[in-house]
Amino acid sequence: MTQQLENILPILQDEHQKQALQNAMNIGVPSMKNEEWKYTYFQKIWQQDFNPILSSATFDFNDIKTFIDNNATSSNRLVFVNGQFQHELSNLQNHPAINFWNAKNTASTNSNDFLLELNNALSTDGIFLEIGNNVVVDDLIEIFYLHSIAAPFINIKNKIKIGKNAVVKFAEQFINYDEQTAYYNTVTTLEVAESANIEWNKIQDGGNNFYITDNMHIEQATKSICAVNTFSFSGGITRNVLTYDVNGERSESHMNGLSLLLNNEHVDNRTLVNHNVANCESYELYKNILGGTSTGVFNGKIIVAQAAQKTNAFQSNRTILVSNDATINTKPQLEIFADDVKCSHGATSSQIEDSELFYLQARGIGKETARGLLVFAFGEEVVEKINHQPLKEKVEKRVAEILKIEL
Amino acid sequence: MLSINNLHVSIENKEILKGLSLQVNAGEVHAIMGPNGTGKSTLGNVLAGKEGYEITDGSVLFDGIDLMELEAHERAQKGVFLAFQYPVEIPGVSNANFLKAAVNEQRKANGEEPMPPNEFLKMMREKMELVEMKKDFISRSVNQGFSGGEKKRNEIFQMAMLQPKLAILDETDSGLDIDALRIVANGVNKLRSKDNAFIVITHYQRLLDYIVPDFVHVMYNGKIVKSGDKNLALELEEKGYEEFEHATL
Repeated sequence: MTQQLENILPILQDEHQKQALQNAMNIGVPSMKNEEWKYTYFQKIWQQDFNPILSSATFDFNDIKTFIDNNATSSNRLVFVNGQFQHELSNLQNHPAINFWNAKNTASTNSNDFLLELNNALSTDGIFLEIGNNVVVDDLIEIFYLHSIAAPFINIKNKIKIGKNAVVKFAEQFINYDEQTAYYNTVTTLEVAESANIEWNKIQDGGNNFYITDNMHIEQATKSICAVNTFSFSGGITRNVLTYDVNGERSESHMNGLSLLLNNEHVDNRTLVNHNVANCESYELYKNILGGTSTGVFNGKIIVAQAAQKTNAFQSNRTILVSNDATINTKPQLEIFADDVKCSHGATSSQIEDSELFYLQARGIGKETARGLLVFAFGEEVVEKINHQPLKEKVEKRVAEILKIEL
Repeated sequence: MLSINNLHVSIENKEILKGLSLQVNAGEVHAIMGPNGTGKSTLGNVLAGKEGYEITDGSVLFDGIDLMELEAHERAQKGVFLAFQYPVEIPGVSNANFLKAAVNEQRKANGEEPMPPNEFLKMMREKMELVEMKKDFISRSVNQGFSGGEKKRNEIFQMAMLQPKLAILDETDSGLDIDALRIVANGVNKLRSKDNAFIVITHYQRLLDYIVPDFVHVMYNGKIVKSGDKNLALELEEKGYEEFEHATL
């Protein structure tokens, strides 16, 4: 795809975009020699013929509408098709306390990250919304990313500001409308003001020809609570980079993840929590259920700054391997510069306990169903983090379906 | 119903059962007593189909079928039930889901439709009363955070739900206080019928005051060395197992 970028460079109109693309090309495509990319072979995406989408494309409106209606778990929705926000399919624009600002983001950043720069250069659209102070959005806000054209490379940039005391839940649905191969490079920044309470769910289930590199950056102010739950059920390569900057005291950050991969998927979850101030808590629980020849990667970094006394930071990464050829690479990283903190991390990888299996069998439950139930239970701890009943049930159903058990 | 003939079982090349024979008919309660390490729990595990045991000789017929040829879940589906000495905790699986799966797999194996949800719930409530379980029990994870007594009561509750033909109670009395013991025994007694049978494995005569056996067997060094009626249990309580020690040495 490098050649394609070179072709695009001269036709980009916006100077910021041009600069960003130039930056990306100077930084170069991530290589496995880079520690950050040690276990994820980005070339597998890059060597394919994905087409960067720069302008809008037509699609069958009714078809997509029906698809969304069938897959939605909420009445609030924000829909992207082929990288473009679709007003007609979305319905939050008229909410009195939700403010959509400009439709295009051309701010320049100078990161040293290839994918961020690429997103700056090529993002076509995004959600730019501001939720007012004290706004409680009762139902989930669901974001759909869909495409109707073959092998698109879609860049979306979201920028969301949450007001003081606001309570909002989101779900990002990376699902596939027509089983087509696609590559999404999404970037979301979330600013969470004082005492706001946010839950953000990611459902990544677009099939194994679906590729995602997602970057989410969260800034939290005093007494705010922010949880991100990431569910990966399929995907050729999925890489989630999640960064928290905890800038206000007495705030809580929650990160949960469940990767349930039984074929040849690859999911790379990377988290970074910057505890910049005192008296905050972060909780991290990532679980993997890996079968077939699938690969899981987890890299969890916690940095506790010198000023961040009385920090409580907990991290756990647990994996069940259900086949001999599945792989997990896990690396916790703690950098602690304060002296009065509680931090813990743990990584386990195991197989199903024979004693548990026998107990279920001794009650007449066949081996396969028993395995399914035990693995389901292992994942359920993460699914239970979803605080929206219809979405939770939908995810549970999907997990049961993958594990071939009846609920 | 159950016919064990000259059963020899080894685990990691160490022989545990050394020619055990036992006949159990429908409607009977058999108590098996004996000191630690004589193979009582091995017998329960072997009958239930736990892996890791090698049958080197002998046979076990259950209603005329070779039980040893069946997998653990198939035995359970045919009506063999083991109440575990140490019930396993299953985090994340609620008692309701666990039993629903168990009841319905058993029905499926017998060619029946799954039990309608309301009927299942009604049955659960009924059987919970039998062992005096609290209401929140349904949604709690199987055995997780249960006290010793609750775990044992849960075993009896599961037995009540699955209505086995042959139930093997492996030291169900161990670790129970007198109230829990009464509840457990009461549950068992209510389930006794002319169509089912029980094998009660225990160290102590105490349980047999509540669950009165038709036969008492002494197990020693991998086989049954003496059989009698309930009075044998009283005798053992008084004299201990010393006479068998001399007999086998």
